[in-house]
Amino acid sequence: MVKFELKRDRVLLRWGIEKYEWCIEPRYWRNPVIGVAILLVLPLFFYSYPHLLTMLTTANLLAAIAIPLSLQILGTARVNFGPQFYLGIGGYTAALLNLHLGWSPLFTLAGTIIVCGSISLLLSPITWIARGLYFSLITLILPLAFLDLTYQFGDIFRGEVGLFGMSPLLDLGRVRWNYLSYYYLSLFLMLLYMLTADKIGRSRFGVSLAAINENEDVARMMGINVSKYKVFYYVLPSILTGVVGWFIVHTFRSFAGVTYLPLEFMLKILFIVIIGGRAFVYGAVPGAYAVCVLEEGLRGFGHVSHWIFPLVLIALIYVLPRGEGLWGLYHKRHPRDYFPKLHVRRE
Amino acid sequence: MLDIQNIGINFGGLRALDDVSFSVGKDEVVGLIGPNGAGKTTMMNIICGVYRPTEGKMFFEGNEITRIPSDRICRLGISRTYQIPQPFYAMTALAGVVTAVLNGKKRPHMCFSDAGLEASYYLEFVGLFSKRDELASNLNLYELRMLELARALATTPKLLLLDEVMAGLNPVESERALEMIWSAQEQFGVTLLWIEHVMKIIMKAAQRIVVLQYGKKIAEGPPEQIVRDPRIIEAYLGGKH
Repeated sequence: MVKFELKRDRVLLRWGIEKYEWCIEPRYWRNPVIGVAILLVLPLFFYSYPHLLTMLTTANLLAAIAIPLSLQILGTARVNFGPQFYLGIGGYTAALLNLHLGWSPLFTLAGTIIVCGSISLLLSPITWIARGLYFSLITLILPLAFLDLTYQFGDIFRGEVGLFGMSPLLDLGRVRWNYLSYYYLSLFLMLLYMLTADKIGRSRFGVSLAAINENEDVARMMGINVSKYKVFYYVLPSILTGVVGWFIVHTFRSFAGVTYLPLEFMLKILFIVIIGGRAFVYGAVPGAYAVCVLEEGLRGFGHVSHWIFPLVLIALIYVLPRGEGLWGLYHKRHPRDYFPKLHVRRE
Repeated sequence: MLDIQNIGINFGGLRALDDVSFSVGKDEVVGLIGPNGAGKTTMMNIICGVYRPTEGKMFFEGNEITRIPSDRICRLGISRTYQIPQPFYAMTALAGVVTAVLNGKKRPHMCFSDAGLEASYYLEFVGLFSKRDELASNLNLYELRMLELARALATTPKLLLLDEVMAGLNPVESERALEMIWSAQEQFGVTLLWIEHVMKIIMKAAQRIVVLQYGKKIAEGPPEQIVRDPRIIEAYLGGKH
């Protein structure tokens, strides 16, 4: 029997012995709604500039890679230096299944999830055995080794040229409409990831996540099955990153490991996490937009941007509050815990 | 309740504990004392599943816990505090205790805000309710020790292991902490295994004392008997005394 209760600041739903709560106070949802509204309206101003629309789409996709990475960093208490490994696996899986077996995007999505899930599950014990630098080194090598494989097995992965001609996720008939639709689809994907990360962060699993990030041994002594959590927080973000690869394959309709697997791409993602705020998954959005705008702005400088870009990013890291990034500037007035304050009201 | 049988552990070439056996009965307060490096904290880490003993067995309420991981030991009903406080520094006091409430015992149907309410009860018990939204990094040593106590109690333990809770506290704070521990024992019905260097406190609090030296048990008995034992006087003050 489902029972609703409306209270001053929240809605309660009771179902048997389960209880769910949603906060309805405007201060909790006003800013996210404004943020999403801006992102929804933004592309309409750039409708005539396809390259800017592509930039915004890329920003959404980069944020969609950085959000699971933030979640993974928190949940495994280790920094993964190769998040793009699963982007590559997801992308190549979707592309190969589509090109060689003729699977539709929906089936390639299922294939991507299964392949990324299986590979990450097989590799997940590294979160138990490798700590700190060793974990970072292992994860750093994985995408580079995969990149090497794409050259060695050129007849399958087509090396530097990559795979192209995959079926589109959506075709509206006109190029500009397609650009616009890709933007909205990427925004949907990014917001979906944000919502997932937010839900995890605010749930009972969120505090366990923060506890593991703080001190694994103490978390274990509090009754948290740290090994199980680590596997989960390694596998889930890996699948989410793989799905971004699938999305790239079916929207840009080309996929080459040389674009997504090298160190430069990884550095971009890590910069987003650091600039956005490594303690907050929400920081990935301003971080990704800042990096993309910066990259686009410096494109005119040609080769100079190769060293201006890192310099500007280092300067930003230096100026922004340590570890909290752009989101930290916004969040400065609140206590710097990972999750919102727990309000205890005596009724 | 807790039965330790012939526990021994080696760290490389170092024999940290050798053939240590003792037991802790229900509702008892047992003190574990010994000079620095005697193996007290190692013993506690073995009970909690942090280290696996090289030999020997441990039983808790009749179940063997020798090779069980820490999280399962916690769920069986053993909790601990740390010699050097180990709070979750970037979390608020309340969030730290909520972690213990949600994970210390299987509570699949407890929602997040109910866990917050229960955690606030433990914080109120140790006198930290007003500091519930403070980050643990902003608390002083006494408050950190109390936060650790609240967190340990929130896992609903049957056996609580206290590791030098009085270290670094002034006499007034020590007295307050002692009263808090007694009232915790009374209200929550916990059994205590207590490592302590402050002899005045442990002699007053414990019903039975186990003494370790160089990884071996050298004595066991009621406090009044332990203080007169020449082996313990020698272990603490040296042969001349």
